[in-house]
Amino acid sequence: MPRLLVVDDEDDVRAALQRRLEREGFDVATAASAEEARQRIQEQQPSFDVVVTDMSMEQTDSGLQVLQNAMAHDIFTEVLVLTAYGNVANAVESMRRGAFDYLEKNAPGVDVYELLVMKVHQALERRRSAVSAIRRMEAFAALRS
Amino acid sequence: MEHPTSADEGRAEDFLRILDVLFMQALSGAGDSRDMLQAALDAGMRIVDGHRGFVAMVNYQTGELRVACISGEGWDERCRPLRLHLGQETDRGITGHVALEGRPYVCGDVDNDPYYLRYHDDVRSEIAVPILGPQGQTRGVITIDSLRPNAFDAEDCAHLAAIAHTAAVGLALDGFRARESALIEIGRSLSATLDTDAICQSVVLIAEKVLRYDNCSVFLADEMSQELVLRATCCAADEHAIVTRYAMGEGLTGWVAAHGAPVRLENPTQDPRWKRALANVPESEVGPFLAVPIISRDRVLGVIRVMRRKSHTPWYNNRFTESDERVLSIIASQVGAAVENARSFDRLLRAERMAAWGELSAKSAHMIGNRVFALKGHANELRHVIDSAPHMPQCDEIRQLLAGMEDGLQQLDELLREFRDFVVATQVTLAPGDVAAILKETIAETFPRRSPVKLRTEIAEGLPSVRCDARRLKRAFAELIENALSFQPEGGRLDITCRLATEEEKAEARLATARGYVRIVFQDEGPGVPPEIRDRIFQPFFTSRVRGMGLGLSIVKGIVEAHHGIIREVGRPGEGARFVIDLPVDDSAPASRA
Repeated sequence: MPRLLVVDDEDDVRAALQRRLEREGFDVATAASAEEARQRIQEQQPSFDVVVTDMSMEQTDSGLQVLQNAMAHDIFTEVLVLTAYGNVANAVESMRRGAFDYLEKNAPGVDVYELLVMKVHQALERRRSAVSAIRRMEAFAALRS
Repeated sequence: MEHPTSADEGRAEDFLRILDVLFMQALSGAGDSRDMLQAALDAGMRIVDGHRGFVAMVNYQTGELRVACISGEGWDERCRPLRLHLGQETDRGITGHVALEGRPYVCGDVDNDPYYLRYHDDVRSEIAVPILGPQGQTRGVITIDSLRPNAFDAEDCAHLAAIAHTAAVGLALDGFRARESALIEIGRSLSATLDTDAICQSVVLIAEKVLRYDNCSVFLADEMSQELVLRATCCAADEHAIVTRYAMGEGLTGWVAAHGAPVRLENPTQDPRWKRALANVPESEVGPFLAVPIISRDRVLGVIRVMRRKSHTPWYNNRFTESDERVLSIIASQVGAAVENARSFDRLLRAERMAAWGELSAKSAHMIGNRVFALKGHANELRHVIDSAPHMPQCDEIRQLLAGMEDGLQQLDELLREFRDFVVATQVTLAPGDVAAILKETIAETFPRRSPVKLRTEIAEGLPSVRCDARRLKRAFAELIENALSFQPEGGRLDITCRLATEEEKAEARLATARGYVRIVFQDEGPGVPPEIRDRIFQPFFTSRVRGMGLGLSIVKGIVEAHHGIIREVGRPGEGARFVIDLPVDDSAPASRA
């Protein structure tokens, strides 16, 4: 069962995301701040498959910190960033630093939850193929030596 | 010709010494005018060897001569406060006669004089000389009498006249000094005020100290419509119902504003530009007129106007002088600076307030956005629960309620979008763009295919490029189109034009004439904007629509101004709304010369 971490400083947003993702069959942990997320990420063995994080928490770019911590711990952890209105600059920056994608929380006329679930599936797929490529390389190297 | 005797020479030296002292006193301005007049009278008495004398001054308000100084004996309660009315036909006395004629008069035998008015029984001769003002009008009279018949000769007359001239100089200097200190006071009080109404009010009060008037009015040009609006007035008690608005160029007042030049007339009603100014004053009573433009940085901000009632005493011309015009112009230039200052301060305050609004909106929108997001999550789950139990009782009812909630959340999202647009309206990234193309795209995207509102466009080709943010500009245009549609639900018209602004249009809109502007006009046939709210419609949260928060026009204004352009609503009453946007042409690109 895929392991997810949801990071958001708003209680009800965290609860809503957790509920939707658990309904989808994922194992969902939560954190309420970038700092708490850092601790959870460190402690989590094996590491989280996907981290869904809000961008603006204690600081307007807290999401970037979460991204950095997640990838430092495990390069293949996929990170999805949730942004608020018009905060495109930070969203673009997170993509440049290796996030899988970003979503706007209040995009009108869009069901962001369904979109998020779809993105999580895509992210999981990418992680699976990346990890399996590494496994094949390791096996190949083992064979060679 | 008589040879001058040593007595004559002595007299001459004496006279020169006395005159010298008088001049110095007049020049120095030490003491007040009364002291100076007294000194002149005393000197005159000595020179001509008079028995009794007085100085009477003219009060132009009332047309009376009043005793200001006396010398000699025999003044008592009866004749001290004497007053002569210059309008009266008889009993003016020699003093009154001289005041009217403006020339000296010598009388050797008062009993047989046609003008003499007896106050003292012992008088046999009298001499009177006028004290004249800079325009030749009589300001006062020095009158000296003697107990001897034929006591005064031509030389006495010349000497007294010279003394009267020094007094005249002294009075004139006093007048200038008073003006100077009033102007200094104006400067001080104007630079201390930031309230345009208070500025206009002080002008009216201070002008009273430097100019005599029956009515003083200050008009300021409305920043949007360029109409002249009355901001302060001071007039005699019965002159209410003064005209409070002039269009540019309307009447003499409007002419002054339109041409930026003063007007000074003795008979304004004869001028072809004249238009009724004071409803309660019949035109036959309207007298001298003086109006000067209030100018700041080459723009006319308003007009200061002073008027007097017609003078009915033929001997007195109460016209405004060139000196009056100069003084009023100086006052006007200081007012211009003060008003400009106050307006800059207002703009700064508004900008700070908008920034605070922006910050508040940003924060609340963020928090509200999170709530809405969570609520949508709950609604989703609810829908999921319903869908997985379709035979649950009251299923349909619950579905309906749920749909209602989702609709509410959708509306919240729209409001949030409005908030967001408001906050980011002024965050633009400018790059050279084609306004005509952007406008056409917006119309294609926003104007519905079928609509009761008829669309007509006139968009010029080959317009120079404008530094703009295409996305924001589209948002602004879209808002104006939606406005026109929502205010004409039963049908109507929307005319959209886009072309270069003409020189005339630029001048009328007070735009910098040295650069080009692309002008976009949205004209509809809807209810239009009442003039009294015209300057408020661009403020945040002003709305006469039911949906939306009323941020729409403030968003448009924010976007236009972030493009260094201006937007105005200039629709005529009964002809719908007319929004005019002027955007500066990009003059950094070589191909943008129009």
